[in-house]
Amino acid sequence: MPKLGVFDLSVRYGKLTALRDVSFHVAEGARLFISGPNGAGKSSLLGAIAGEVRAAHGRIEMDGDILSGRVPEAIARRGLSMVPEGRRIFRALSVQENLMVGVGLRRDRSSVPDDLATIYEAFPILGDRRHTNAGALSGGQQQMLAIGRALMTNPKLMLVDEPSLGLAPKVVDEVYERLCALQALRGLTLVIVEQSSARAARVGGRMIVLRGGRIVADGDAAAFAEHDLLKEAYFGEGAAA
Amino acid sequence: MTLQLLFDALSLGGIYAVAALGIALIFGVMKLVNFAHGQFIAFAVFALIVPSTDAVAVMGLGAAPAPILVPAILLVGAALAVLAEIFVFRPLRNASPVALMVASFALGVVIQNLLLVGYGGRPKALSLWPELGSPVQIAGASVPLLQVIVIGAVLAVLAALALMLRHTRIGLEMRAAAEDFGMARLLGVRANAVISGAFALSGALAAAVALVLVAQTGVADVRMGGQIMLVAFIATVVGGMGSLGGAVAAGFALGAASVALQALLPAEARPFRDAFLYALVILVLLLRPQGLFAAASAKPRV
Repeated sequence: MPKLGVFDLSVRYGKLTALRDVSFHVAEGARLFISGPNGAGKSSLLGAIAGEVRAAHGRIEMDGDILSGRVPEAIARRGLSMVPEGRRIFRALSVQENLMVGVGLRRDRSSVPDDLATIYEAFPILGDRRHTNAGALSGGQQQMLAIGRALMTNPKLMLVDEPSLGLAPKVVDEVYERLCALQALRGLTLVIVEQSSARAARVGGRMIVLRGGRIVADGDAAAFAEHDLLKEAYFGEGAAA
Repeated sequence: MTLQLLFDALSLGGIYAVAALGIALIFGVMKLVNFAHGQFIAFAVFALIVPSTDAVAVMGLGAAPAPILVPAILLVGAALAVLAEIFVFRPLRNASPVALMVASFALGVVIQNLLLVGYGGRPKALSLWPELGSPVQIAGASVPLLQVIVIGAVLAVLAALALMLRHTRIGLEMRAAAEDFGMARLLGVRANAVISGAFALSGALAAAVALVLVAQTGVADVRMGGQIMLVAFIATVVGGMGSLGGAVAAGFALGAASVALQALLPAEARPFRDAFLYALVILVLLLRPQGLFAAASAKPRV
């Protein structure tokens, strides 16, 4: 059984269709990149999976359980966590308080201190600034905080929306390196929105490309980078299935 | 004389601050200005006496000793607010902020009319803790004991609330939800628990204001919540909508300004004290339209 299954998912905002009949699945412990131009429906897709955006029709399953129609907090309690577009850290809260917001849903509260230590080990800067207001962090640090905060819910499946947005390439390398290390450590399943196929190829994993709310390509990220299939997918020169 | 003024300012400002907090707490998590807050206060006042339309008030719950009376009346306020949330505001949670605001007005009218049916429209005299009227000497000034207790109680309430927000799980969840409710829910924070919690706290604060008002004025009047609701609402606006610290600071500032105007205005201008007070408010808002302490964020609710 796949970790995440999406079946014929459509999302509409009024008359605007953001996603139409999108279907895919992700195996447990795998890494899936979602790419595509702005407005292709990437963030709507993550939002629908997490329960923040209502699906017009279709079905989303996690471990065979139906997620669609549930409220976000119920989905989070099933082991899904999200690093959202724009990071959405709680600026008025301290770094450590940000990390602790998502701990309330856990049944294994006793392992929280260990997990906190793991996050601080992976991102030492967060440990150094644990009592600072999160609003005072730099963009890269806020990205790390958003990842750490999502991990503190002890998720099985994590959705990450554009971790590279607005960050210097060197910082992006660092963020991915830590993210992959933590994935291996926890046996996480990752779904990552990433514009750059070159970046996705370097990190490694499967990639789907969205355009106009549909999946127009699906394959190994490395293959996209090599054959520049992505460009075709973007501009619709024959790659559309 | 000046010390007496200070105590007046602190006790009046303290009441405004606690009332304003009740409004700011709900606004923080729901972006709802609850105009029924004044009627929550009035309801808690009348919960002290036995329902009847007679002119004379017969103490019911109000006759109980303070260690029972105080928690019981806070509980009444909290329960009323939570019921209002479940039956009025929860079904409207995805409605527009304007619809929510109108619903809160309507709820206020319903509560007020229930009180009118149960207790009649005439103000009733009632005497809660009359022994607190005796003056005490503090640094050469003669201050009513009640005023000292009010100031102490207000500070205790503020400290307890601050500790709760800072050091408990529900407090952390409320602060996170006030900043970005959607994100908090993505992290598993239960919307219903946080909103119910905010309403319960707000209702308990309304009940605390009710106790102080009754002890100070000795009157139960169906309309008594309206005036304080107006001042408290102004305090939340001046303080910066959604900023709890701002609401408290502005509440104290309004109390102090009110007392200062009363003392400093020439006798013939004193009847127009409130006009001067609200002129000051307008001036502050002209200079800082976002309020003295703008909130961390004003994202839409849930």
